[in-house]
Amino acid sequence: MSNVSDWNEASSELNAIVASFDEGEVSVDDLFVKLERATTIIEALEARLALTKAKVEELTPRIAKVTEGE
Amino acid sequence: MLSETSSEEPVLEVGEFYQLLTAHLESSFGRRRPHWVRGEIAKVYEKGHVYVDLVDAGSASSDTKRPVLNAHCWATPWAPLKRRLADEGISLRVGMVVSFHGYVDVYAPQGKIGFSITEIDVEGLLGDVARRRQELIARLRGEGLLERNKSMVVAPVPLRVGLVASPGTEGCADFTGQLLNSRFSFQIVLVKTQVQGEAAPAQIVGALRALDDAGVDVICVVRGGGSKGDLACFDDERVARTIATSSTPVFTGIGHTGDESVADLVAHTRAITPTKLGEEIVELVALWYDVHVQRPAGRVVEAVTDVLDEASTYLAERRRTMIFAVRDRLRAEERHLLGTRERLVIQGRHVVESATRMLVSSRQLLAAYDPTRRLAQGWSIVTDAQGAVVKSLGGVHVGDEVHVLVSDGSFTSNVTQTKGSST
Repeated sequence: MSNVSDWNEASSELNAIVASFDEGEVSVDDLFVKLERATTIIEALEARLALTKAKVEELTPRIAKVTEGE
Repeated sequence: MLSETSSEEPVLEVGEFYQLLTAHLESSFGRRRPHWVRGEIAKVYEKGHVYVDLVDAGSASSDTKRPVLNAHCWATPWAPLKRRLADEGISLRVGMVVSFHGYVDVYAPQGKIGFSITEIDVEGLLGDVARRRQELIARLRGEGLLERNKSMVVAPVPLRVGLVASPGTEGCADFTGQLLNSRFSFQIVLVKTQVQGEAAPAQIVGALRALDDAGVDVICVVRGGGSKGDLACFDDERVARTIATSSTPVFTGIGHTGDESVADLVAHTRAITPTKLGEEIVELVALWYDVHVQRPAGRVVEAVTDVLDEASTYLAERRRTMIFAVRDRLRAEERHLLGTRERLVIQGRHVVESATRMLVSSRQLLAAYDPTRRLAQGWSIVTDAQGAVVKSLGGVHVGDEVHVLVSDGSFTSNVTQTKGSST
């Protein structure tokens, strides 16, 4: 999860990697490096998302009391 | 005993006079000859029995010669009459014009001729009360007081509620129960008052003013059901004017469904019962809560869900894209390598074939230069003693022994003479 900045910056970096693949700019030598970096970013963002979801799940019953008018 | 005077008129003892008078009065105005008498109440006093001084309506109190009827109603007949009046919200008050049914009552020990009341014209009184009520409403309307409190703006969240009520009564409990059992934190500021009886109007006015000064969001006047008499204080002009001129919105929940007091007419909002009033206050807060808290909270939940779903979808899509992109890239490289390998094989085959052709050609060329073939044609190869091929005269001297190679063998020869080809 190292060197993964905030969501938007990490997402931009991930999009750039995918775009470089789409445009065929990735050499075989760079392929593994870029794949490894993309995997690192995806795993970091998924972990961050899972953590956020857990926090949301924790808050959901509390906000449900408001939305359900208890 | 009768005695005679000089004028021969009988002289009566006082008691005899009263007996005679009573007999005469009773024959025309007695219990069996009752009369209706109408007048304005100049004085009224009640202590078990009720005593009323009745005068001609509209007569001036300064008129010392105006006729006065000292009427009374003994406790036994008064009790049911009083109840009936109270049920209709009527109590005998100075200034009220009333018709009494009764008879003349002579009380000799005090020399008084009174009027004993047996019946009161309640219907007439009701008409009078109704007329006074309509006159009051007309005055309030004329002064714009029916709409004045209604023009007050109610606080968006009326949680601080001023309450004019009698604690312990069912109406008060019904109202506070609605607020305290709701999901909101109402603060109830109660000013205790009587809600029926002579003292009630003044107390209600005081409570309304105190709560108006207390800065509550809304003032609620609450009273459970009862007879018209019980609710009469809410038709009181002082109460009506105080409600109308209050700088705080005044809500009423007085009596039962069918009751409508003057207080109800001048109030900002009127509920048909204390319970209903409590429900309406709670509903006001609930409406605000729904618009400003519940719905935004729902939108937050939806937005959070959307963001999380979008992020999940994004990451899943990126993951798939990466897998396919890398796979495609590797396959492209594999195809490239395979093509290169095939091209190399083809080119290698061409090189080998070319080399083979070159070797055949060389072999043929070499064959053309084969010494064996030359020897067979009659050519020979001469070598000196060291085995070196003698290619010119310089390689031999007279007397040297040389070896001559021919097609089928060799022999040794001695050089006896040299001779140049030009000579």
